[in-house]
Amino acid sequence: MLLQLFSRMIQLIFVLLMLSIATFLLMKMAPGDPVLTILKASEGAVSQLDQEQVREQLGLNLPLIQQYGLWLWSVLQLDLGRSLVNNRAVWDLMMDRLPATINLTAGAVIVLLLVSVPLGVVAAKYKGKWPDHLSRLFALIGASIPSFWLGLLLVYAFAFKLNWLPTMGSGDIRHLILPSITLGFVMAPEYIRLLRSGILDALSQEYVRAARARGIAEWRILAKHALRAALLPVMTIFGMSLSGLLAGSVVTETLFAWPGLGSMVMEAIIQRNYPVIQGYVLLTGVFVVTANILVDLSYRLLDPRIRAKRGRGV
Amino acid sequence: MKKLQEGHPVLKVNQLAISVLNKGSIHSITEDITFEIHIGETLAIVGESGSGKSITASAIASLLARPLTVTHGQILFQGTNLLEAPARYVKSLRGQAIGCVFQDYRGSFTPFIKVGHQLVEVIRTHAQVTHAEAKKMAMDWLHRVKLPAERSFRSYPYQLSGGQLQRIALAAALMLKPALLVADEPITALDVITGRAIMDLMEDLQREVGCAILLISHDLRQVIKRSHRIAVMQNGRLVETGSRDQIRDDPQHPYTQALLRACPRITRKHGPHIQETGMWR
Repeated sequence: MLLQLFSRMIQLIFVLLMLSIATFLLMKMAPGDPVLTILKASEGAVSQLDQEQVREQLGLNLPLIQQYGLWLWSVLQLDLGRSLVNNRAVWDLMMDRLPATINLTAGAVIVLLLVSVPLGVVAAKYKGKWPDHLSRLFALIGASIPSFWLGLLLVYAFAFKLNWLPTMGSGDIRHLILPSITLGFVMAPEYIRLLRSGILDALSQEYVRAARARGIAEWRILAKHALRAALLPVMTIFGMSLSGLLAGSVVTETLFAWPGLGSMVMEAIIQRNYPVIQGYVLLTGVFVVTANILVDLSYRLLDPRIRAKRGRGV
Repeated sequence: MKKLQEGHPVLKVNQLAISVLNKGSIHSITEDITFEIHIGETLAIVGESGSGKSITASAIASLLARPLTVTHGQILFQGTNLLEAPARYVKSLRGQAIGCVFQDYRGSFTPFIKVGHQLVEVIRTHAQVTHAEAKKMAMDWLHRVKLPAERSFRSYPYQLSGGQLQRIALAAALMLKPALLVADEPITALDVITGRAIMDLMEDLQREVGCAILLISHDLRQVIKRSHRIAVMQNGRLVETGSRDQIRDDPQHPYTQALLRACPRITRKHGPHIQETGMWR
C-alpha cells in the first residue's frame, strides 16, 4: 500500500512536469499579449517603448526555455509567482477561490447522488416497466440539455419568476442551490445509466440467485449484494467527475458569477495571465491524481479481491 | 409450518410442465413431470444436460426466471400448491423450509461479503435472533460441516476452496432445518475425492436434520450409491422412476439402460456388495 502511494507520488511529479511544459508552450503559441492587458488597464495610449519595458520587467523577452526554467525554479521553491494583473501571489489567489469551488463541488455531488442513485436503482429494479422508461426519459433529457441553458432555465423559474432564490453571486447556502442543481443534473444521466446496467448485471449473477434461494429480501439483495458490485465502474467515472468539479466548472461558475477556480481561470485566460494559468494547471493536476488515488482506495474498500491482489504484489 | 405425519410426501410434483414463453410463442421444456419425495428420503433426477432436470429443480425452489414459466401442473410442498400460494408465503419457505445447493460453488456467495456475514444474514432473515445468537449458530454450523469455524467465518468466498465453499453452502441450506433440500449438481464442479466427502457430509446432515433431498445429477453412478429412488429424465419427460435397486438391476426404459451402459460397469457378481470396475469416466 505504501509502495503504491509512493509510486503514485512519482507519477504525480511526472504528470505535473509534462502538464506544465504543455501549458507553457501552448500559452506562448496562442495569440494575445499580457503586456497589452496590463498597460491598457493603467494608461490610455501605449507606446512601443512602454511595451518593451514591461516585457523586460516580466522577463517575457527571454528565450522560452529560460522563461520556463525560471518559472520551474521558483515553483520548486514553492513559489507559484504573482499575477501579472494585480501582482497578488498566485497561491493566495487560488486559495481565495478554492473554498467556493469546494462548496459547489459538494453541492453538485449531493444533487448527483440524490438524483442518480434512486433513478438508477429504480430503473434496474423495474426494468422494462414505467419507472425504467421514466428514468430513461429523464437521462435522455438531462444528457441533451447543455448546462448553461439548464442554468438559465432554473434562474428564470426559481429566481426570476418565483423569486425563491438569488440569481447569482455567492453568500449563504441559498446561492449554492441553483448552481449545484445545474451541475448535478447535467452529470446525473451518465450515472443513472451506469448504475442501472451495473445493477442489472449484478442481479443476473449466480450469487444473487443463491441469495434469493436463501430467502433474502429483494430490497436487501439490491442494496447489499447488487448495488455494491455496480459501484465499481461508477467510482471510476466519479473520480473523473470529482477532479473536473474541483478544477471548477467554467460554464456554470461564469453563469452564476460563482467566485470559484473556474471563473478565475477564465479571467486569467482572457487576460493572458500566464502565472495564474500555470498555477491553476498545476493545482488541477494535483486534483486529478488525488482523485485517482481516492478511486483506487474506494476499489479496495468495495472489493476485497482487489485488496488481496494489490496487497501481494505491486 | 404444517406438521407432517410419517408417510405423507414432503414434496409432490404433479404433471408439471414448464415452457419458454417468448412474445406469444410457447416452447415446451418439460412435460408431465410427476414424482414425490418423503421425509428422510433422497430422490435423484438423472439425465443428460438439457433434459430439463435443473429447470425442474428451479421451479420447485420457485426460482424460475422469465421467460421460463410453469404452464401446467402442481408443486405441492407439505400439501400446499406453491404455484397458487401467495408470493409472500412461497418466499418465506425459501431458505427456511426449502434449502438449495447449486453446482456453481463460486456463485453461491456474494464475492465481496464475508461468508460469516452472509450466513448471519440468512439466519436473521428467517429467525428472530440477535446478531450474536446468529453468529453463534453460524459458527456452530461451520463446525458441523467440518471447517475451522472462526477462520471460515471471517473469510471472503475467494479465499476458500471449492470444497470448502460447497460445505458452507450446505451449512447455509441446512442450518434452518428445512424439510427439503434441493441439491442441483452439488458436486459436478468438484474433484472426485472432494465430491465424495461432500456427498458423505450431505448424508450425515440429512440424518441429523431429517430432511428430504431432491438430488439433481447427470451421474448415474453417484446417484445409485446415494439415493433411495431414482427418476430418469429425457427430453423434458420422466421416462422411468423406481427404487435404486430396480433402476440398477432391472432398468426398463432403453434410455436408462443406455445411461447405465455409459457409466463404469457395476456388477453384483461377487456377492451383495457393489463392485466397481473400469475407469472413472
